[in-house]
Amino acid sequence: MTSNTISEDDLYRTTSQYRLWSFSPEALASRRRGTHELALQRAWQHAPTSDGASDGAARGSSVDCLTVGEELRLVQRYCNQIRTTSDHFQWPVQVKATAVQYLRRFYLSNSCLTYPPKDIYKTVLFLACKTEATHMTLSEYARRISTDPDAVLAPEYKVMQALRFTLDVRQPYRGLKGVLMELLNMANGMVGEVIDAETRGAKELQASLLDLAKPSSDAKTPWKAPATGSVDVKHLTDRINAAYSAARTILDGPALLTDAYFLYTPSQILLAALQLADEPLSSFYLTTKLPISSDVRPKILATISTCADLLFSFSDAVIISKEERARLEEKLELCRDPSTRDLVQAHAAAMRGSDEDDEAKARKRKAAREKSRQEGEDLFGPRLNGVGAGGG
Amino acid sequence: MLKSPALDVPPEPPAKRRKTSPEPESDDNTPAPIINSTVKDLAAQLDEAERKKYVKGRKLGSGQYADVFSAHLLSDPKQVFAIKKIKIGPEVKEFGISYDSLREIRFLQELNHPNIIKLHAVFSTKSQNLNLVLEYLPQGDLLRLIQDTKGTTYTPADIKAWMLMLMRAVHFCHVNGILHRDIKPNNLLIAADGSIKLADFGLARAMADPFQPMTYNTITIWYRPPELFFQAQHYGDAVDVWSCGAVFAELIGREVLFRAWPETEINMVRLICEKVGTPTEDNWPGVSKLRGYVTPSEIIPLRPKEQWSASFRAIGEVGVDLLMKTLTLDPRQRLTAEGVLRHPFWTSEPRPSKLRDLPRRGGGKETMGEDLTQRGGELPTANGEGGKKRGDKVAKKLDFGIMTK
Repeated sequence: MTSNTISEDDLYRTTSQYRLWSFSPEALASRRRGTHELALQRAWQHAPTSDGASDGAARGSSVDCLTVGEELRLVQRYCNQIRTTSDHFQWPVQVKATAVQYLRRFYLSNSCLTYPPKDIYKTVLFLACKTEATHMTLSEYARRISTDPDAVLAPEYKVMQALRFTLDVRQPYRGLKGVLMELLNMANGMVGEVIDAETRGAKELQASLLDLAKPSSDAKTPWKAPATGSVDVKHLTDRINAAYSAARTILDGPALLTDAYFLYTPSQILLAALQLADEPLSSFYLTTKLPISSDVRPKILATISTCADLLFSFSDAVIISKEERARLEEKLELCRDPSTRDLVQAHAAAMRGSDEDDEAKARKRKAAREKSRQEGEDLFGPRLNGVGAGGG
Repeated sequence: MLKSPALDVPPEPPAKRRKTSPEPESDDNTPAPIINSTVKDLAAQLDEAERKKYVKGRKLGSGQYADVFSAHLLSDPKQVFAIKKIKIGPEVKEFGISYDSLREIRFLQELNHPNIIKLHAVFSTKSQNLNLVLEYLPQGDLLRLIQDTKGTTYTPADIKAWMLMLMRAVHFCHVNGILHRDIKPNNLLIAADGSIKLADFGLARAMADPFQPMTYNTITIWYRPPELFFQAQHYGDAVDVWSCGAVFAELIGREVLFRAWPETEINMVRLICEKVGTPTEDNWPGVSKLRGYVTPSEIIPLRPKEQWSASFRAIGEVGVDLLMKTLTLDPRQRLTAEGVLRHPFWTSEPRPSKLRDLPRRGGGKETMGEDLTQRGGELPTANGEGGKKRGDKVAKKLDFGIMTK
């Protein structure tokens, strides 16, 4: 703590998103495998044992269970459902992004076999609405999604537990907005220097922006260079705005529907989105931040590129259809864990339990113990010294 | 060299996780062997492991909102904590887990700073109660210290030390994009070493994006800045700085600076006009366009520096200058937390007191119990006898006000 300043990197490393929810692709895959296998064990345990077989694994293998891949596709489908529901309510984008990550995080330690996503997604969306300071009462929410309010609340603690009680989701939206503002300022000749990185003057920066290569034909930006004549500041402004909204579309779709948040930081994600939107523009932006001579430059660029590949590989066609969803959910029914079938009732029972304070319970237990000891003494005389009753 | 946030972060798996959160078994995750009858899912296993680390001790306090217990580590009884067990209130039917609890958990999980109360862990119990394992702060709070005019004396150097710790905590919240929105002396708890810790994040929120409205009905009324009385829906870190200014003045004068009685908003505005000056277009461009802008008809000019100095002479000229700049009416002209930290006050004489020299008898461990069981936005109960509530009339549920109507 005696060192002079903390960098933004240091700050990011203290976040729960980094501490608990960042993975290598391999670690992520094995985590999901582990969760899936655990869920299979659970489901088999509860399967009827009329044949007296206790070897769950043998029995389970005969049932056609949802695979890890199928679970993932089902979860992805419900991530998409969260997006459309949140957009329908016109909630701020943070609610949507947070809710989607809650659902994805939930299914790292839980399987669809135990908690089908159609039960969970409404809960995480309501929870995200609360943590992102958007107000809607439960009754209104439940009414608008035509669900029983109790069904929304029932898995809430389960969700909190699966989230390891960390609720903050770091997002790339504000960072992207910052890039937009910086680029617009540069385009208008208002920024000349960036501490430690960029030393060209404002005019020179503006000139190199005007001279920038055109976006390639597969770029996501709709902007096209003027057919005739050179690019002026007006064109440039349009180009920057178009790149921003194309990148923003990527953040709203592919970034939420892939593992991007588990594998990359918010700034890596937004720079990757910008790269897909308008590569020359994003490279230019990076040169103003990262001198060509910087040692870490190749590493950072490589990371952004792999993130861009991930986002690029996604298309809406990957999301399973309604029919496919129905098919998977039917299949799920055959191998699902029966013990978590009635969440509403389980929740109600737990809530009743909570009325009774732990302490009160302890007092009761003690009283009962005391009473039975007394009675015991009455019957058999006082306890012999050193021979413990061992009760409790 | 410019550090980019994109540096040295994943794809590597995080090297360091929080000490108090056990790692998931191992990364290849061979499923746990079946023990007894039920296999718990991974999340439940982790939750249970966390819970079993602590031994709950005696109850330190009980309030409408939470119970607080002392606790220690099973593996090392010398390490003590306070466990705040959140009660399930009547609003659970309409909201589920309350906004206050969610905010507190969300923000404390992210904030790791020597002057902010540390959240070591959270676990749930079978009956679905949330338990927050917090840093144990046995020396009470700053309010008790301020109010104990007979038993406790402190110096301007002590005030400087406390304010510096407070401002560092607030600055840290702000650079993390978090507004605390309930800074007041009884949310400043005193640690065993005499340092102070900002607590109670039940009203905190992330800074909003431009144009996204926020509630103005927040911050305990005596510490609430004028822009919120005028119903500004877009505001920023300046709201916390005003509260800090009010705490600063209270530390010096040993009485609440804006102690409106009865505690109505109109009385508060009147008091602010009397003590600072009437907010007008001249000293605060745009103020008259705020929806709730109402001031007493008699315009009171901004209070000149000499008058501030007369009331707060003890803190010195530089200190008075800082105080005025934190209690500036126009939030845009008010100092930011960083601006406060850059003020010459901290480096001028006297030097802030060393931790070991600070008075630290702000009540005992029961005070922590009491502080942690309160709901945000409430005024504390009186220190005196008779248990008369200091803020009964305003103990309203602040943030729900708007939407439950």
